[in-house]
Amino acid sequence: MIRKLLPLLLALVLLCACSAQSGEKTEEAAPQAEERTSTIFAMDTVMDLRLWGTEEQLREAEREIYRLEDLFSVTDPASEIHALNESGEGELSPETAELLSGGLALCARTGGALDLSIYPLVRAWGFTAEEYRVPAAEELESLLENVDYTRIDFDGLSRVKLPAGMEIDLGSVAKGYASTRVIEFWREQGVTSALLNLGGNVHALGAKPDGSPWRVAVADPFGGSGYLGVVEITDKAVITSGGYERYFEQEGKTYWHILDPATGAPADSGLVSVTVVGENGLTCDGLSTALFVMGAERAAALWRESEDFEAIFVTAEREILVTAGLAESFRPLDEYAGAKVTVIEP
Amino acid sequence: MKLKRLTRAAVLAAMALGIFIVELQLPNLTPIPGVKLGLANIVTVFSMFLLGPANTLAILLTRILLGSLFSGQVMALAYSLAGGLLCYLLMLLLRKLLTMKQIWVCGVLGAVAHNLGQMAVAVVVTGTPAILVYLPVLMVSGIAAGLFTGLCAQFAVGRLEHTSLFK
Amino acid sequence: MRTRSWIILIGALLLVSLAFCFLLLGRGASGTVANIYQNGVCVRSIDLSAVTESFTFTVSDGARENVIEVAPGRIRVLEADCPDQVCVHAGWLADSAAPIVCLPHRLVIRIETSAKAADGIDTVSQ
Repeated sequence: MIRKLLPLLLALVLLCACSAQSGEKTEEAAPQAEERTSTIFAMDTVMDLRLWGTEEQLREAEREIYRLEDLFSVTDPASEIHALNESGEGELSPETAELLSGGLALCARTGGALDLSIYPLVRAWGFTAEEYRVPAAEELESLLENVDYTRIDFDGLSRVKLPAGMEIDLGSVAKGYASTRVIEFWREQGVTSALLNLGGNVHALGAKPDGSPWRVAVADPFGGSGYLGVVEITDKAVITSGGYERYFEQEGKTYWHILDPATGAPADSGLVSVTVVGENGLTCDGLSTALFVMGAERAAALWRESEDFEAIFVTAEREILVTAGLAESFRPLDEYAGAKVTVIEP
Repeated sequence: MKLKRLTRAAVLAAMALGIFIVELQLPNLTPIPGVKLGLANIVTVFSMFLLGPANTLAILLTRILLGSLFSGQVMALAYSLAGGLLCYLLMLLLRKLLTMKQIWVCGVLGAVAHNLGQMAVAVVVTGTPAILVYLPVLMVSGIAAGLFTGLCAQFAVGRLEHTSLFK
Repeated sequence: MRTRSWIILIGALLLVSLAFCFLLLGRGASGTVANIYQNGVCVRSIDLSAVTESFTFTVSDGARENVIEVAPGRIRVLEADCPDQVCVHAGWLADSAAPIVCLPHRLVIRIETSAKAADGIDTVSQ
């Protein structure tokens, strides 16, 4: 009798173990950890916040984003950056200082392909006010004289001094910094599942509540009806830079908003879109711009000597290249389904 | 020959379980839950016609219980049980009506019944009748997959019914 | 029963199911709702799966206007007096992943489905 019952008992115990596991999961998702979403307008873009947590955690994140916007905005006369550009020197708050030093590190790491001091050129091309124009060569040249991040005199803590005529803009890294701050805040609060989309900059905390990875689509740089593809991630930022985001056409030529600090003209590296995937939003944000300027070859070289990011490149010839670390998790979609994806090997 | 029958049923249950686990590893063709080949159905149909209802029920229940245990999807147990039992009841009826050349019909209608049972449980469990929009898609996929598994079972029965194994 | 009767029975079942498939697909996924937000506040909500004939309407905050066109299963901004026209160029919206955004007017059109988005995409990096 006992011999017959034993296997049955064992099976029952196993069964209970299984159900206990799923039971724990529902307990962890405390009653107040419901899905909450909000849409806000900040940093000149629209932001979607989505978390499984409390209303207060959502509101606190919104307040943090607005607060950072007030510090970093290049146009708001009350911001630290605006004051710095006006007077040429200033004392920075810890957040602005952290963002500036993170940004400068990326400038150095990319050999100046990212340059925080390119703002006067962006303005000359009309990208700040949507009054587009093609500046004359002499105008570009004289403006380029003041573009050089190495001449930003920053003590790394708070005091910063700019040479005469230089203006800086932290817009190329600010959204990535903001998403990382919000994600870190939520993580400290014990949130295990959240998704941010700050004007196209995606940043995920953990996985979906059901444990599966987030599925993040990458926009089609050629403006088709579908997506380029989808990448599955947990705990990562996915940030795309592309010429399609903001551009104008004049006399049959297309001019986009990503400028090459070496020439002062729209970057012409053969790439039309770069997506960077990594844990640090600031790094991904700055790198997506810098790699776009550098072109596939130099970008691949930088990737080989780095540990902290993976990337997807699309060339003007509609070629798709992905770094080895994404070969498994990236899949082309829609018009690109079945397209050849070249894997960049280490 | 009790031993022979027991061994036969055990081997078939193990096969069904193996097929079931392997099929779980295949990527989903569609995002709609429930659209799948249901290869384990081959074994159910096969044993229904060669071993009889009692053995089939044992094989089916073993496969469902152990399958959900092995795959760790204990939550899916209710779906599988509802689908499997509805399918089984229909097959009991069909067994009387079908000739050995019509076994594929059992595969088709069994798969459809299976999907109907799953759908019914899903509506009750999730409390959202809206998921019934998937029903027509599940019916079509069930017919297609059932035709395949039914034919497989029919060929297998045709090959094996006169061998000493099943005498 | 003869084999032919079985074939007819299963064929009929298949045809009816297929007919329902096309009927439901033609109407767009059920429960597809487009919400229109102005300044983060939902100002209008339209069940796209219940729309049978196209119509247009205007969302205005007194000074700025977006003309929105609704068709069975989809929605778009037809005209807008914003400077960048990004919302107009965005074209038709039929799935839930990427909303239409008109930044100058602080207008967002988003599709929210009760069922999961067709290809299970959570968000779009752009």
